[in-house]
Amino acid sequence: MANVAKKVSWSGRDRDDDERVGETTPLINGSGPGSARQLTPSSFLRIGQLSNVDLNEDIHELETELPRQRPSEIPHNEKLLSLKYESLDYDNSENQLFLEEERRINHAAFRTVEIKRWVICAMIGILTGLVACFIDIVVENLAGLKYRVVKDNIDKFTAKGGLSFSLLLWATLNASVVMVGSMIVAFIEPVAAGSGIPQIKCYLNGVKIPHVVRLKTLVIKVCGVILSVVGGLAVGKEGPMIHSGSVIAAGISQGRSTSLKRDFKIFEYFRRDTEKRDFVSAGAAAGVSAAFGAPVGGVLFSLEEGASFWNQFLTWRIFFASMISTFTLNSVLSVYHGNAWDLSSPGLINFGRFDSEKMGYTIQEIPIFIFMGVVGGILGALFNALNYWLTMFRIRYIHRPCLQVVEAMLVAAVTATVGFVMIYCSRDCQPIQGSSVAYPLQLFCADGEYNSMATAFFNTPEKSVVNLFHDPPGSYNPMTLGMFTLMYFFLACWTYGLTVSAGVFIPSLLIGAAWGRLFGISLSYLTKGSIWADPGKYALMGAAAQLGGIVRMTLSLTVIMMEATGNVTYGFPIMLVLMTAKIVGDYFVEGLYDMHIQLQSVPFLHWEAPVTSHSLTAREVMSTPVTCLRRIERVGTVVDILSDTSSNHNGFPVVESNPDTTQVAGLRGLILRSQLIVLLKHKVFVERANLNLVQRRLKLKDFRDAYPRFPPIQSIHVSQDERECMIDLSEFMNPSPYTVPQEASLPRVFKLFRALGLRHLVVVDNHNKVVGMVTRKDLARYRLGKEGLEELSLAQT
Amino acid sequence: LAEELWSAGLPGDLPELEPECRSLLAAFAEGSAALTGCLGRRARPVRLCQGCHGPYRRLLAQYGSIARAVGNSSESHNCAKSILTSDRLQIVVTLSEFFNETWEAANCANCLKNNSEGLSNSTEEFLDLFNKSLTCFEHNLQGQAIDLSPNNYTEVCKNCNETYTKLNDLYNHLQRMNRQGGESEHSAHLCIDVEDAMNITRKLWSRTFNCSLPCSDTIPVIAVSSFILFLPIVFYLSSFLHSKQKKRILILPKRIQSNANLVNIQEKYS
Repeated sequence: MANVAKKVSWSGRDRDDDERVGETTPLINGSGPGSARQLTPSSFLRIGQLSNVDLNEDIHELETELPRQRPSEIPHNEKLLSLKYESLDYDNSENQLFLEEERRINHAAFRTVEIKRWVICAMIGILTGLVACFIDIVVENLAGLKYRVVKDNIDKFTAKGGLSFSLLLWATLNASVVMVGSMIVAFIEPVAAGSGIPQIKCYLNGVKIPHVVRLKTLVIKVCGVILSVVGGLAVGKEGPMIHSGSVIAAGISQGRSTSLKRDFKIFEYFRRDTEKRDFVSAGAAAGVSAAFGAPVGGVLFSLEEGASFWNQFLTWRIFFASMISTFTLNSVLSVYHGNAWDLSSPGLINFGRFDSEKMGYTIQEIPIFIFMGVVGGILGALFNALNYWLTMFRIRYIHRPCLQVVEAMLVAAVTATVGFVMIYCSRDCQPIQGSSVAYPLQLFCADGEYNSMATAFFNTPEKSVVNLFHDPPGSYNPMTLGMFTLMYFFLACWTYGLTVSAGVFIPSLLIGAAWGRLFGISLSYLTKGSIWADPGKYALMGAAAQLGGIVRMTLSLTVIMMEATGNVTYGFPIMLVLMTAKIVGDYFVEGLYDMHIQLQSVPFLHWEAPVTSHSLTAREVMSTPVTCLRRIERVGTVVDILSDTSSNHNGFPVVESNPDTTQVAGLRGLILRSQLIVLLKHKVFVERANLNLVQRRLKLKDFRDAYPRFPPIQSIHVSQDERECMIDLSEFMNPSPYTVPQEASLPRVFKLFRALGLRHLVVVDNHNKVVGMVTRKDLARYRLGKEGLEELSLAQT
Repeated sequence: LAEELWSAGLPGDLPELEPECRSLLAAFAEGSAALTGCLGRRARPVRLCQGCHGPYRRLLAQYGSIARAVGNSSESHNCAKSILTSDRLQIVVTLSEFFNETWEAANCANCLKNNSEGLSNSTEEFLDLFNKSLTCFEHNLQGQAIDLSPNNYTEVCKNCNETYTKLNDLYNHLQRMNRQGGESEHSAHLCIDVEDAMNITRKLWSRTFNCSLPCSDTIPVIAVSSFILFLPIVFYLSSFLHSKQKKRILILPKRIQSNANLVNIQEKYS
């Protein structure tokens, strides 16, 4: 770093000039060794302060920063922003190339692009549906195999004695299956862990989570989900469908796979973040729709959780994708189940029909439902708080992949053990006749009866949920349900956040259904068997309340539940329950997904700036000094700036390269690191152009071909001679970047940034000179905490 | 009087059932009466499929002949039409539907031969075994009929164990076969006779005689499970103590630090 500064000799001279004049052109220079983030030793701001603000204090600060070379280390906590995450470029770089291309496309061609969008959406729907089918069928068969083996074993040992072997068998089976599932996630693609909903939420918010929409992630996710569900963990396969759908969408819309190194040369128009984001939100919707058989719910999910950028055409397209997805799932599953074209099994989880007489509800029940919402909110908050501590512990101490795998195995073994012990201790026997139990375990029950605890534990969670909803009254003892709720609550809480791909939807529904059913039973006991106290209905409401209390979704969850039950009349009570659960839960802690986003130190931008932030202005928010480039810049300088490891900037304001330093050198445009890399790679240098060495002009296609994995600067070789060449940026930079004056308030900056999906926002002074730069991390670090406005610190993770 | 009027064959308006139709109807009525009686008599213990498949088949045939009967060639005097669909109640249809539904619910087709004449071989075998085990129960109970102390059925348990196990195995086998063959949900059940017979036997065996006393090996189970439950505690403690806590390196942002600057600038600019 230091020798760079020495070599670039003119920079020092320029600085002297600037200081003399008191006005400056922000320049690209080497930096002093002390500055951790920025290269520029001399920039407008510092000089501005020197010349017209409080001199002493600023100098003092500069000095205190220098000795602080060794950065301080702190344990991971929630008040951090990771440097790992970068923004996506949702704002098109409107450079000359782009404008030329757009002008070339005539009206008819735009129509083709529009048709292509629809085709892509249809393909997203179909593929997402197929993936959902695949997961469903494989899970059904593998889990069936496992439960049959264990059941035969238990049956054998019940007569002869030696049930501890069955326990060992069950625990070992679970642990080994989960071990494989956890290993592929921990060692191959850690981003596939969890449900993927927080990651997709971040992606749609504009944060680039590394690897999140790669084909490899999809493969690992799908296999991981299958293995963790088969491994008997307290997880569901619904949440990961959303992630899978998004990856599929991102893959298809690009018409190529970088992982497979195949380029189909189609859909090249969509190779940029803006277009990709729209398709990813369609993919997320298709995923929800495949998971729950809820196309409208999927669209609303995308709207509520994901898409920060929305318009009507997009809504319609997304709806199309989710309809196609649920239809595909329907048709394939109907063929698989042997009744082809009977399109009546929508969704991976089907809550079954709730349309019998006694499933209706009356006005007297509304307060009861609201009370259930309150309970759900409190339990959800408890769940989230426990999970918070656990996740913090995991981030701090269990960060090595092998430890993560061991932890997942232990959880699997303990889940099996808890299930076994519960079944072993339960004396709740129900007659086998007329019940539709998949794997009836007799154990200590009389012949012809089955253990009712086993229907809850000895089954995949999805089936257990449906059983709780629909088994006739009297199928479960209150004692059984109570113990089940308690145990499953802790198991699910413990499981979420493990290094396996798994969702939290089904476990939440299961916990809620169990206590909801318990609630219904005790209600009918208290009211001496009133007609309206059907436990199945309360199980549904409890499930809604618990899920709402944990994930805090409202609109989309109401519609998803409504569609999954196929009963519109339940809309009102479900809405009430979810609303109450959210209000009560928000009083204590935030939702599970937001919590995990925060724990991952992601710079996530919410809808609004924190309410008490009006006193802050862009001047305090921005990062400064800014590394700028001149319009015609020396290649060596560019390479040095890009390869400086201490400052990983991605956008550089371009200023006028005026030899006459007395003039104001205002902001001319903005150029991105990715563009610079492409320019360097193709060696678009002024000298070469003059010598007619360049065969052709660089086109927008060259930039697209490199998207989204631009090579790192280290892989680009620039010879010593070439370093002395000049590079003309005027054609490639975005000549009209968004700017704000220094006095703009934080909410105003925030609004601009959030609404337009910006990545860089340049702060200029009255003379259009670059003063600072606002990026996502500058805005995201302000957060409304318990004691008012908090500021998060940046950290390397 | 009405009967006479009708049979006299009033001309014109009053619709009248043709003689052959009337005989069909009478046959159906008798058939349904017979079937109802049969079903009712064999309700407990359930012997529906064994005992009533004859009447049921006959009733089906009678209903079929009504439905097929074209009567006297002319459209208006069609037996099917006049018996089955000329009034709101449609009692014949209702009756036949009821019988059909009952038959399906009982799943009798499952233990009858394909042409539904008589019981299928496997069912015969099962019922044979069932009777054998019942006789075995009876036989052994008679031996100790004097002292019927509730817990003293060890004789029965010992002597009939073989037959009972055979019966149980056969039932399970039948069930498995059935599950594999059947597609829809309904045929997942065996026919009600077999199910009920098994049910009765099982209840006698494990409730009344208290024969199926599974070995409860609580101590090994407790040992194994507490071992497994203990593992996570060890794991978390050891990772807490031995694993190096992950530290984050703080990065100092480059910003204007003091508020005094800000105030100054604001004053200056404003």
